[in-house]
Amino acid sequence: MQQLDPAEAEIRTWCTGYLAETLRLPREEIDPNAKFARLGLDSAMAIFFLTAIEEWLGLELSAEIVFEHQTVADVARYLARLPEVATKLEQRAT
Amino acid sequence: MNANGRPAEASLNSLVDLLHRRAAEQPEDRAYVFLSDRGAEEASLTFAELDRRARAVAARLAAPGKAGERALLVFPPGLEFIVGFFGCLIAGIIAVPMMAPRRGGSRDGSAAIISDSRPRFALTSPALLAARPDVIERYRELGMEWVVVDPADDAAPPPVVLAAPGRDDVAFLQYTSGSTSAPKGVVVTHGNLLANLEMICVSLGNTRRSTYANWVPLFHDLGLIANVLQSLYLGTLCVMMSPVAFLQRPLAWLRAISHYRVDASGGPNFAFDLCVARFKPEQLEGVDLSCWHMAFSAAEPVRAETMQRFAATFAPYGFDPKALYVGYGLAEATLIVTAGRRGQGPVTRTVSRDALLHGKALPPLAPADTQVAVSCGRAGAGGRVAIVEPRTCRRLGPNIVGEVWVAGPHVAQGYWHNPAATDATFRARIADEGDAPWLRTGDLGFLDEDGELYITGRIKDVIIIRGMNHYPQDIEDTVQNSHPALRRNCGAAFIIGEEGGGEQLIVVQEVERTFRNKVADEDFVGTIREAVADEHEIAVHKVVLIRPGAIPKTTSGKVQRNLTRQLWLEGTLEVLE
Repeated sequence: MQQLDPAEAEIRTWCTGYLAETLRLPREEIDPNAKFARLGLDSAMAIFFLTAIEEWLGLELSAEIVFEHQTVADVARYLARLPEVATKLEQRAT
Repeated sequence: MNANGRPAEASLNSLVDLLHRRAAEQPEDRAYVFLSDRGAEEASLTFAELDRRARAVAARLAAPGKAGERALLVFPPGLEFIVGFFGCLIAGIIAVPMMAPRRGGSRDGSAAIISDSRPRFALTSPALLAARPDVIERYRELGMEWVVVDPADDAAPPPVVLAAPGRDDVAFLQYTSGSTSAPKGVVVTHGNLLANLEMICVSLGNTRRSTYANWVPLFHDLGLIANVLQSLYLGTLCVMMSPVAFLQRPLAWLRAISHYRVDASGGPNFAFDLCVARFKPEQLEGVDLSCWHMAFSAAEPVRAETMQRFAATFAPYGFDPKALYVGYGLAEATLIVTAGRRGQGPVTRTVSRDALLHGKALPPLAPADTQVAVSCGRAGAGGRVAIVEPRTCRRLGPNIVGEVWVAGPHVAQGYWHNPAATDATFRARIADEGDAPWLRTGDLGFLDEDGELYITGRIKDVIIIRGMNHYPQDIEDTVQNSHPALRRNCGAAFIIGEEGGGEQLIVVQEVERTFRNKVADEDFVGTIREAVADEHEIAVHKVVLIRPGAIPKTTSGKVQRNLTRQLWLEGTLEVLE
């Protein structure tokens, strides 16, 4: 299996945890490659998901992110490449 | 002009008259401001600018023989919708507001709306054109003429002389009724709009100082009529923000109310819950809500607990609990039917839960037998409300539950090109009361001795989620189309109330015998969730798969949704693992 970059892996783990809690599903049932719609997320819930990511990271993000990137894997990959996200995660680690 | 500085409704013939009058009397006043996602002013329109730009759009639409043609309005949030809408009205083209189809969604209600209304034009903005080329691609074969409303284009309109519309002319079609497979476009005339705008104005006690703020989408009648058109009627400013911005940062709505000293603003019940759920004192520094006199809750059932929580949370910011305001309405009556009174606060009544189940509003017999009902106010000026036994069509007395019927100048003309449904809904007669036509709302409720209306339920099965109506048969169809193993006419969709006020959609569905052993392998649950989210924009909370023949049906073979719901709540449905 391909190794994920640590920031991407951390975001993935957080997102799967959030979705498992929100959707009341066991964590292992949240497939990072499943489209949000398939997991049972409508667009309002997708926006609430983004708001939760914002609060976790302490950053303001555009709601478009969860419409343009429709899986946990895609969102994590996109966010991990934003410089401000990388900085936040590093600060948190130290 | 009357004392409030607004035009006497009787002196206007159309919304076009209204717009021209605003542009002539207060050309430089700002009519609309659109806020960016960060709360900065992104665009604005004065009354004169709106009038000029709408006339320019009208000149592009109008030509001999085109009056009465339809134009689809597909706009992202912004002020272009308003320019396009008035462009249509000035040109005598019937506006058909529609939600932009969801990205990647394969099927939704838009195809049926287009095939029902047969629009010649489709109006949109440069932003949608750039961001969503798939929308135009999707409808390419329908041959609609796309007209782009450019917000930057402020050229003087060509001098085209257009016939002024009259009160009986159709202004727009409101597609919020009927299932997605067979949508019904409510035919709203200029006269209906003017009557309802006057009703809203009088009921809310609005004046020239009633600044508005709105985030409700404009394809929704609450956003368009109660906010954008009402503020034009008053000649006041309406501050707008996008629905997504509201969902993402609900407190930005409250900050806008404080900053612009807004008098009237509202939304469906869930909006008030969302503000409480996201309450953060650090985001409300300096916010003063004492200007907010009309916090109206409409478009979905109002919960007393929601109002109490909201009032308690925001009282420290100057919010007056008496500002909470409840109304009742439906697209078939243009918008509002009943409304409360300014400054009074919600009227509630404690009734016997048991008696209410039997159709009567009586005082509770025991402390455990109480239910708090929230009044939706009284019939608006010029309108009438009756409670009628839905089978015998006899009028019922006070405190007896029956169907809510409505009459008045705000009742729309009927459903677009659908005489059978129009007759059944718009031309009802009360037994022994002559030939006067009444509108059947399909809602159940009672009137008290003072004429206050309390809504208690619905005759039709309608699922209301975040202020949008959904029909269970549409959701069941979607489910059954999503996989061949899912048996047709053998499923039920319904909602259950959750603690804390949310409503959850449950889908119960039979699986064909031949697929029974594959339930574990095939991801039926994921397939169903994806199909329902794509086509209806709602999340299925729980998918319950059952064996063939397990869904309760009537002797005539109709699925019994309520009984299915009850069995599910009791845990007696036999679920396939």
